[in-house]
Amino acid sequence: MDSVIVIGGGLGGFTVVQQLRGRGFAGAIAVVDPEGLPYDRPPLSKEFLAGGIDAEQLHFVEPHWFAERHVDVYAAAATAVDLPDPADDDGRAAVTLSDGGRLFADRVVFATGGRARTLPIPGGDLDSLFVLRTRADAEALRSGLRPGTRLALIGAGLIGAEAASAARGFGAEVTLIEPVDPPLVPAIGRELAERLHAMHTEAGIRVVTAAPVAIRASAGEHSIEFADGTVVSADVVLVGIGIEPETALAEAAGLDVDGGVLTDAGQRTSHPRVWAVGDCARPRYDDGTLGRRAEHWENAMHAGTAAAAAMLGQEPPAPTAPWFWSDRYGVHVEGVGDMSAGETTVTRADASGRVQAAFRLAPAGDGQRVVGAAAIDGGVAVRVARRLIDRGIAADPARLADSSVPYKQLLK
Amino acid sequence: MSQPINIGSVDDIPAGEARVLDGGDNSTGVDISIFHAEDGNFYALDDECTHEEASLADGFIEDAQVECPLHAAAFCLKTGKALCLPATENARTHRVEVRDGELILYPGEPAPTQD
Repeated sequence: MDSVIVIGGGLGGFTVVQQLRGRGFAGAIAVVDPEGLPYDRPPLSKEFLAGGIDAEQLHFVEPHWFAERHVDVYAAAATAVDLPDPADDDGRAAVTLSDGGRLFADRVVFATGGRARTLPIPGGDLDSLFVLRTRADAEALRSGLRPGTRLALIGAGLIGAEAASAARGFGAEVTLIEPVDPPLVPAIGRELAERLHAMHTEAGIRVVTAAPVAIRASAGEHSIEFADGTVVSADVVLVGIGIEPETALAEAAGLDVDGGVLTDAGQRTSHPRVWAVGDCARPRYDDGTLGRRAEHWENAMHAGTAAAAAMLGQEPPAPTAPWFWSDRYGVHVEGVGDMSAGETTVTRADASGRVQAAFRLAPAGDGQRVVGAAAIDGGVAVRVARRLIDRGIAADPARLADSSVPYKQLLK
Repeated sequence: MSQPINIGSVDDIPAGEARVLDGGDNSTGVDISIFHAEDGNFYALDDECTHEEASLADGFIEDAQVECPLHAAAFCLKTGKALCLPATENARTHRVEVRDGELILYPGEPAPTQD
């Protein structure tokens, strides 16, 4: 192996580069992304949207980092990938760029991410609807927020809820539209989901529990219609209902794709010299069954690490329970593992008596094991829970619930 | 070089815990965390995560590393090295000594590197 092209400059792509260099790879590395230097996405719906940090602060590292490590960054889109015969050990892949350039390497990594899902209703594809995937999306949305702006957010998952919080800082009149009440139960459990969802109303946001059936736009105003005949009027509409993996380039290159670019545990695709990481990748296990595509930040980092290790013939780090976070209204939310698995939930209250942490338990042998956990402003609880899950440590429900037992004591 | 500060007995910080020395109480002007690692050693780093404002003293301490309480960036307590994204900048270290059961901090003086 002497050269690698990474298509996509999100976390997965950047981690591949960082890990390749960190693990001693001295060959050529190129990163291809129309947005140029790799940058971090989570702040787009939080500090960056709120105006608390600028575009430079989104970058994972300073620009000189790439020059010092002899990593070439191409601010262009990859428009085609021509792969060599898998049996040809000396064959090289060719990546065609939108500016007409052409790059060659003996390894290619797809880190193409995802695109915002479109509302499958009349008007769901209006050009005037905002999504929030890129820095440009966030800048465009922010430029439309000022006191009195009527902002409608469709979807109260992580993006919608975080954007609602940020938008209140501009004095916007926010309406949050979500058919599920409360959202995020599968991710953080009902107890914490209810506490979090209530924060929207407490912040002065109007919450509509329904699914829109149509959107119309006229003279700069949007009318969001519901089945019962009610209408929400808005100047600005943000749709945050999830993403679709960006797999067209991989599919055209001949890789196996099924709801994501299919990869093994080392992120290797159906072509022996091509890898895929992050939101665009989907696991295919050794028995041929397909796993769920993960869209969380840390999954992209782990996948990038695993891919770099596999490319270099090194042992990838051991897998850990999936983890995510969200920030809104000044609180920090984290979840780990699977809160929809198991059979029972144990909660622990904070000093003011509110539910701070929830632990999901499943029977194991004569006892129980933690399979998922979530917390609001309880990062240590989640870090401890992750270790309980990863190490299969037996859980005592009474101690989990007892706020007089320090979280770290649960590991002993 | 700044003057060493006696910050109290080793028994004041249980193993696996940390204590913050306010920036106003040390010559650097920046809060410093003193960590008692579970291997029994003491280490000191600037208290703020290099990724985003968060107190490392509130983090999870294990295997001579601290994991930031917000986004799980990890730092080596011995060297301050950033071990895990989202942090990419190392944390600043400070020399700590144990003398007759007392903790002596040298604010602004890097910890002697051991690895």
